[in-house]
Amino acid sequence: MSDKKKSFKNSRVYVVLFALVNALVFSVLITSAATMLKERQLENMALDKRTNLLEAADLVPLDKKPTPDDIKQIYDTHIREVHVDARGRIMETATDSSLQLYLIHTDQKVQGYIVPISTRGLWGKIHGYMAFEEDGETVSGFSVYSHSETPGLGGEIESDWFQKNFKGKKILNASNQLVSVGIAKGRAENLPEKLQDHYVDGISGATLTGRYLSEGLEETLTKYEPVSILFRQKKGSQAHVETILDE
Amino acid sequence: MEKNLSHYRDIMTRGIWSENPVAYQVLGICSALAVTVKMSTAVVMSIALTLVAAFSGLIISTMRHWIPSNIRIIVELTVIASLVIVTDQILKAFLYDISKQLSIFVGLIITNCIILGRAEAYAMANNPVDSFVDGMANGLGYSMILLAVAFLRELLGSGQFFGFSVIPRFLYDMGFQDMGIMVLAPGAFFIIGLLVWLKNSLPGVSHEKK
Repeated sequence: MSDKKKSFKNSRVYVVLFALVNALVFSVLITSAATMLKERQLENMALDKRTNLLEAADLVPLDKKPTPDDIKQIYDTHIREVHVDARGRIMETATDSSLQLYLIHTDQKVQGYIVPISTRGLWGKIHGYMAFEEDGETVSGFSVYSHSETPGLGGEIESDWFQKNFKGKKILNASNQLVSVGIAKGRAENLPEKLQDHYVDGISGATLTGRYLSEGLEETLTKYEPVSILFRQKKGSQAHVETILDE
Repeated sequence: MEKNLSHYRDIMTRGIWSENPVAYQVLGICSALAVTVKMSTAVVMSIALTLVAAFSGLIISTMRHWIPSNIRIIVELTVIASLVIVTDQILKAFLYDISKQLSIFVGLIITNCIILGRAEAYAMANNPVDSFVDGMANGLGYSMILLAVAFLRELLGSGQFFGFSVIPRFLYDMGFQDMGIMVLAPGAFFIIGLLVWLKNSLPGVSHEKK
């Protein structure tokens, strides 16, 4: 390379031009990759969300991996998306203050409901679902579909062993007050017996993730408490839950 | 042709064995600690890193005559970052489950010192094909250590291999316990240290005599 060319290569004009062209070329590359793949990614995300919702409701067959069509079919048969107001009654149209709720149907009967969970984690938002039985106090499932926690530590919130722990936990204490479900530090079986129904095993190395998730669950369940109360009132009576919610 | 083959073989052995990025250059340690709790994440990480290392070598080496030397690091980073983002997008579109498992680690390939190290030390001074082979060799060298560490950590820390339990039940009944430390970062430090020591104490490998 000649000296002249070398000095030109380090001249201010060339450096700025090179940087601009370089930035332009690679931003076009990234943008086109992102735009072209966007549709597929959104499809994947929507499908993943639905799969998670069905997992929380325990509706996904465990023996084989469901295809996208299976998921759609199960979803359409069993899930009804509704919006409820602050009193827990179903609204015709969604408003800013209404809460999203999913009712689980089997054979025309409401078997339970699913509450979307959205809370802060250590590094970002945690999104998931918590399903309840129709008694309005027993957790029937929990799942997480999106989070930014450290894999292997807080990221364990999306693992099966962690999510299975929630099944059967109660959100009410002995005197029927809302206590939510918390994430214990260490194993739940080391806690006093009367707390064991309200705590799941914690994740070692992820104390903060557990704390934020506990707080988020409590906050969400407090917001949805009117709905849960309606379900508890229905307990024992023959009334159709939806008619109560619809009133 | 014959000379060419041995030339590439030479680049490969250097990257994979004699100048292994983790064991000899001590680069890329941070991710070697992070993704080696389980085999499955280590495998995908290895593939992604090897691809990015190879292609960033190729592209940077092709551009090397036009890159002004005073902004070369930032240009190298642009190339690497773009490749990583595109890889991440492709994983999200076609291998959504795996991309969810790897989460932030794909993005962290950008900061992996092996990639920038090879771009700066090799691709800027050699022709595109050599750089491609060199990137691949270093990626494979990194993968080798990564998989070895992940194998030992998953086995000793969780008693599993690719998520399947391999330690027989009766050993647990007899009082065998998983080593909790292997799941945490210090476990990886010990294993990497031992592996580097083992590699350098093999006959004919130690670089101290050179």
